[in-house]
Amino acid sequence: MIALVDCNSFYASCEQVFRPDLKGKPVVVLSNNDGCIIAANKEAKSLAHIPMFQPVFKIKKVLEQNNVVCFSSNYTLYSDMSQRVMNTLREFSPLVEEYSIDESFVDLSGYSASRVQELATEIKDRVHQNTGIPVGVGVAKTKSLSKLANRYAKKEPKNDGVYVVDSEEKRIHLLKKILVKDVWGIGRKHAVRVESTGAITAYDFSKLPVAWVRKQMTVLGERLWRELQGETCNELVPLPKSKQGIGTAKSFGYKLNEYGLIEEACASYVSEVADLLRQQKSAAGKIEVFLATNSFSDTDKQYRNKVVITLETPSSSTIKLTKVALQALRKIYRPGYRYKKVGVNLFNLVPDNKVQFSLFDFKEKIECEALTKAIDKLNNKYGKNKVKVATVGNREKQWALIKEHRSPRFTTQWDELLTIGKV
Amino acid sequence: MDGIEKNKGLIKKSERGFRVLKPAQTGFSSPATHYAEPRIDLNEVLVKNPDSTFFIRVVDESYAEFGIAEKDVLIIDKSIQPKPTQLVCVTKEGVFEIERMDFDSKEETQLWGTITHIIKSVL
Repeated sequence: MIALVDCNSFYASCEQVFRPDLKGKPVVVLSNNDGCIIAANKEAKSLAHIPMFQPVFKIKKVLEQNNVVCFSSNYTLYSDMSQRVMNTLREFSPLVEEYSIDESFVDLSGYSASRVQELATEIKDRVHQNTGIPVGVGVAKTKSLSKLANRYAKKEPKNDGVYVVDSEEKRIHLLKKILVKDVWGIGRKHAVRVESTGAITAYDFSKLPVAWVRKQMTVLGERLWRELQGETCNELVPLPKSKQGIGTAKSFGYKLNEYGLIEEACASYVSEVADLLRQQKSAAGKIEVFLATNSFSDTDKQYRNKVVITLETPSSSTIKLTKVALQALRKIYRPGYRYKKVGVNLFNLVPDNKVQFSLFDFKEKIECEALTKAIDKLNNKYGKNKVKVATVGNREKQWALIKEHRSPRFTTQWDELLTIGKV
Repeated sequence: MDGIEKNKGLIKKSERGFRVLKPAQTGFSSPATHYAEPRIDLNEVLVKNPDSTFFIRVVDESYAEFGIAEKDVLIIDKSIQPKPTQLVCVTKEGVFEIERMDFDSKEETQLWGTITHIIKSVL
């Protein structure tokens, strides 16, 4: 059996662990730059007139009228809380697939079937006790079924956040409760096609002839169809895949036309992605830089451009990558525009121990590597970005994202701890 | 100019033909080699369950009765079920407080976590 454990409105829940005063109150989390709502708790969702993914400035009044508490996204906190949840799940099974920041598949094949119901509840309770994060648990024979079971566990109040498909009756019951369009893996286009056959629920879908499914929905559809019958087609993937590309692009807090500031932002993004690159022990063969004005603005002159540069040798050095990225930026920068966004993407990632050095850059490479290592060590010890490439500069406030309502990084910064006291 | 002068000096030195002994291991190997152990790591001692452990800083003298003073940092393990009279962190009407665990209490409090250690700086 496989359990899908999914945190309930994860970002909002993370905030609420440290803010018990917000219990039962509507909470939303805003995207980078506080542009739009990306997460909302149950209470906020129940205010039907609060649309998700809407620019905040358009609905500011509604938020205020309903006393909705807004947080800027605090990914540092969410990432740590996510690790706590995942590690707690590992107490139950050696095989855990981290599917996303708030979702994991847990292999329960080591447990006897009769214990699974009890176990599912225990998982839910222990995660909540240890981390304060509420979760839902769906258990079934296959990933696709457990995903549906999870959905049903949360949707139907009497399930109390847990649903275990441990019999054929329950499997059929579950499939009949889920609409075709809500099945994990059936996209909007396919849903229309399936519904055109008269199928309404996942059960109806599971009764379609497999030949039809394969023809209309390719082999992926067939796999899904089989998984819903209880036949395993997708195994758990224990280790996260190394990423094929790493990138970041964030809007500036303000519109910028000064090259120097854009350069600083760009250099800062490079050091961010280079950090991630080294964490997964890869090196990048290509670097892309793009620059854009605000396409939503009616009044600004519009310009956007990007350029890709291939490195002679794949690199993971912040110094080397910054050099190349700034060359790229210089190529596409045109004065006279109000820029909103710069982005950096790294492609053609290779494991860093398989990099072929060319004859001429070997010496440079070694020096760069030693320096990078030393910098990483210092930053690990004294805090992120304590030592940085000078181009990054110190004017972050003039370009960085606006995060007006970010909560403290309670679990990762000694001077941002939760406090207690009556004054 | 300065650099060249210095370089000259270096070359002279080597021309005079100093010979340097190739370093070789001498002396005795430590009798303690087999007894060496990693140093004490307070994380290991004070944080048994890192995934359920949180830190809270005390900002006033409200909890002096428990020997908890301003600026102390509490180590709190949410996974531990407290025993009676143990110090716990609770929430009362949405506010964090410190109490001794009292299972008979009729007050509406919710357990947040069990306090396992209090870090005090005496400097």
